[in-house]
Amino acid sequence: MATAILDFELSQIPPTISVSEQYRQALILLRLNGYPISRVTVPVVDGQISKPQVREAVSGAIDRSFCQRYVNHYLNWDQPYAASRSLPKATVAVTTRDRPQDLKRCLDALMQLPDDGQEILVIDNCPSTDETAAIVAEYPRVRYVREDYPGSSAARNRALREAKYDIVAFTDDDAMPDARWLRALLYNFTDPLVLCVTGLVMPLELENEAQEWFEKFTPMGRGFSRLVFDGVTHSRFRVAAVGVSANMALHRKVLEDLGAFDEALGVGTPTRCGEDHELFSRILAKGYKIIYEPAALSWHRHRRTWEETRKAHFGYGVGVYAFWTRCLLVEKDFGVVLMALGWLFCDQLPNLLRSLFRQTGSVPFDLLLAEIRGCLIGPWSYLVSRKQFIANRQSL
Amino acid sequence: MTLNSLLLSVIIPTHNRRASLKRLLDALQTQSYPSDQIEVIVVADGCKDDTIAFLQSYTAPFRLCYLEQSGQGAASARNQGAAIASGELLLFLDDDVQPVSGLVEAHLQAHQQPQQVVIGYLPPRLQSDTSFFHIRLRSWWEEKFQTLAEEGHRFSYDDLLSGNFSVSADLFRQVGGFDPMFKCREDYELGMRLIQTGAQFTFAREALGYHCDEVTDLTRSLQRKRNEARADVQFGRCHPELMYKLRLSWYANPQSWFDAVLVWLTFFVPGFTDLVVYGLRSWLDVLENLRLWHAWQQLNERLHRYWYLRGAIDALKTKKALFALLQGGLMRSNESDPEIELDLQQGLERAEQQIDESRPASLRIRYGSCPLGRIPPQAGVERFRGVHLRPILGDSFAWSLFQALTLDDVMQ
Repeated sequence: MATAILDFELSQIPPTISVSEQYRQALILLRLNGYPISRVTVPVVDGQISKPQVREAVSGAIDRSFCQRYVNHYLNWDQPYAASRSLPKATVAVTTRDRPQDLKRCLDALMQLPDDGQEILVIDNCPSTDETAAIVAEYPRVRYVREDYPGSSAARNRALREAKYDIVAFTDDDAMPDARWLRALLYNFTDPLVLCVTGLVMPLELENEAQEWFEKFTPMGRGFSRLVFDGVTHSRFRVAAVGVSANMALHRKVLEDLGAFDEALGVGTPTRCGEDHELFSRILAKGYKIIYEPAALSWHRHRRTWEETRKAHFGYGVGVYAFWTRCLLVEKDFGVVLMALGWLFCDQLPNLLRSLFRQTGSVPFDLLLAEIRGCLIGPWSYLVSRKQFIANRQSL
Repeated sequence: MTLNSLLLSVIIPTHNRRASLKRLLDALQTQSYPSDQIEVIVVADGCKDDTIAFLQSYTAPFRLCYLEQSGQGAASARNQGAAIASGELLLFLDDDVQPVSGLVEAHLQAHQQPQQVVIGYLPPRLQSDTSFFHIRLRSWWEEKFQTLAEEGHRFSYDDLLSGNFSVSADLFRQVGGFDPMFKCREDYELGMRLIQTGAQFTFAREALGYHCDEVTDLTRSLQRKRNEARADVQFGRCHPELMYKLRLSWYANPQSWFDAVLVWLTFFVPGFTDLVVYGLRSWLDVLENLRLWHAWQQLNERLHRYWYLRGAIDALKTKKALFALLQGGLMRSNESDPEIELDLQQGLERAEQQIDESRPASLRIRYGSCPLGRIPPQAGVERFRGVHLRPILGDSFAWSLFQALTLDDVMQ
């Protein structure tokens, strides 16, 4: 079953909406004055969506954050995002590895950003061909940087070092930022304690079951209210709620105050992911803040096959436990043990049971199992990855 | 006031901190504002180091005067300095502030009218950025300044921070300066009297000085809590209408039976509870070594509350006296305070204009025939200005306003 993805301004929903006949339902992003305010799912019949159904879905979607945004709009309070004069300048960094088609879509989207003097970098991580370099050459405003140490963490560190400006906005190559994305991220850096801002991620396409499951069980968006994660009050281990690194901006102060991404973690290393959560965690541990800003919208192409989705779940388990192993070994933070037990008994085991008894709405069993398998080898993979990293740095 | 022609007096109370004082005076030499328009008055309060000798030998491009007094506290020192100041504007800086070169100019520029108080930005420079205590300390300060900087912030008496602020000499003398009885919280107390006279508070982020606080640590912070409670008792007696805002009121009705027992024990066997608390103090270090942040925070909060209570007991002796004090502070609504009614259907700009014209103490808000609510008068905060309206509506009336707006849409 496939889902059509649509995008409408609240006051301009057309009377008739037609989509391709293959779709059974549609996911509609609603905007108010150009900023995302909510999302609704409506059924599609013979390629048609009726307006009353959309209207009904919208009235069902009215919640606290919806009415807050609506009122803010009336109060003219959503204006700060639009004003570019007081915003700091930024570097946009795309980290990529052998995904030329995705990269092209991403760069095309970045060309649609209003020109506030931002610098755009492509960090090509350990490429196997010259294709990426050739694509980047077509965009004169984009600077190409090649990083040969494998890993998203190494690529992101390179971006932080290469960046001309203090704020670096990261997007993955398989994402497509909205035209207002960058300004919405930057607006949040007026608070000196904010070192990181993450944004809303919507699915670019939901064409098959794998992508539907991914969106249903591990959505990258964190809703439509702006959230403040203050290290003084928020637990440093509850970082999954913070957002995702596919759509985030960092202040370069992190390099001096906290240190860069741990290059033993991340996609492309034996630990598979976790470097973003680990950095979020250190930001919170030092009492800084992370903001989740839903106005900073990006569209993400989810993995297209079931096998890839299962791998992602496995990788997630590995990454989380690798990151926790680091907390225990490097930072000697014992809070992590409680966290791991809490996750196992309050979340993983109940989910596994629910799935085993095939309760409705439960996560597919093989995905859960993949995640738990990942957790088991996580600590080991961190040790291996760290050893590799140290050996490599010495040989350089 | 025209810029660059005005004489400004910088008043610095100092106590045994020759090195920081030197850093401050050196930084004042490199201000963007002309040195011949600056007068610096240092008040050495009970200094036992060679501060006076240092000042005698210090040569500066600005006029430098100094006074000595025998340890009557910062409030009294600032008054002494203000008494001999010849500037039209007084800028108070603490001795551990390191100003940027634009600080003086930014203060001057922010003064648009005579009844103004300008609060500068004073972010802390920490000795350690890993200790739990200092992380919390920085967060408290930055949060405070962040609130002050918000558009439409409604200023309150406790927004006056004495480390970096400026006020016209006339206004300072009109309210009678600091109350030298206060050894702590003297800034809040002055802030209250300034608010009462209708002074306009402003926050100037460009008036930046770093707070190079090298002495505040957990032990001092706990001691300070005890002094704060003593000052609060005094404060409550001077300004009973603000009693409900003081931490004191928390102890009259503890939230749980556990707290109630603790309060009772502290009143009756303080020697015993002191011992227990000294023991718990070392637990804080254990928790920090294990990096158990939340447990640390809870214990830390409790210890601070304990020493605050001990301070209150120092000043009041008995529980009965605490109740008597708090009862004297019950809210009295002042009927003479002006109140206006706003109809948002007439437009937000119109409503803001109405507020600016009458500067009311309380508001009644409706949208057409749909009432939204009332904001009662509040002690210790400035009268409403037009810029306060949107934040209030967004923060406190979002839901009822949403209903009114959508109802309006449906009607149309």
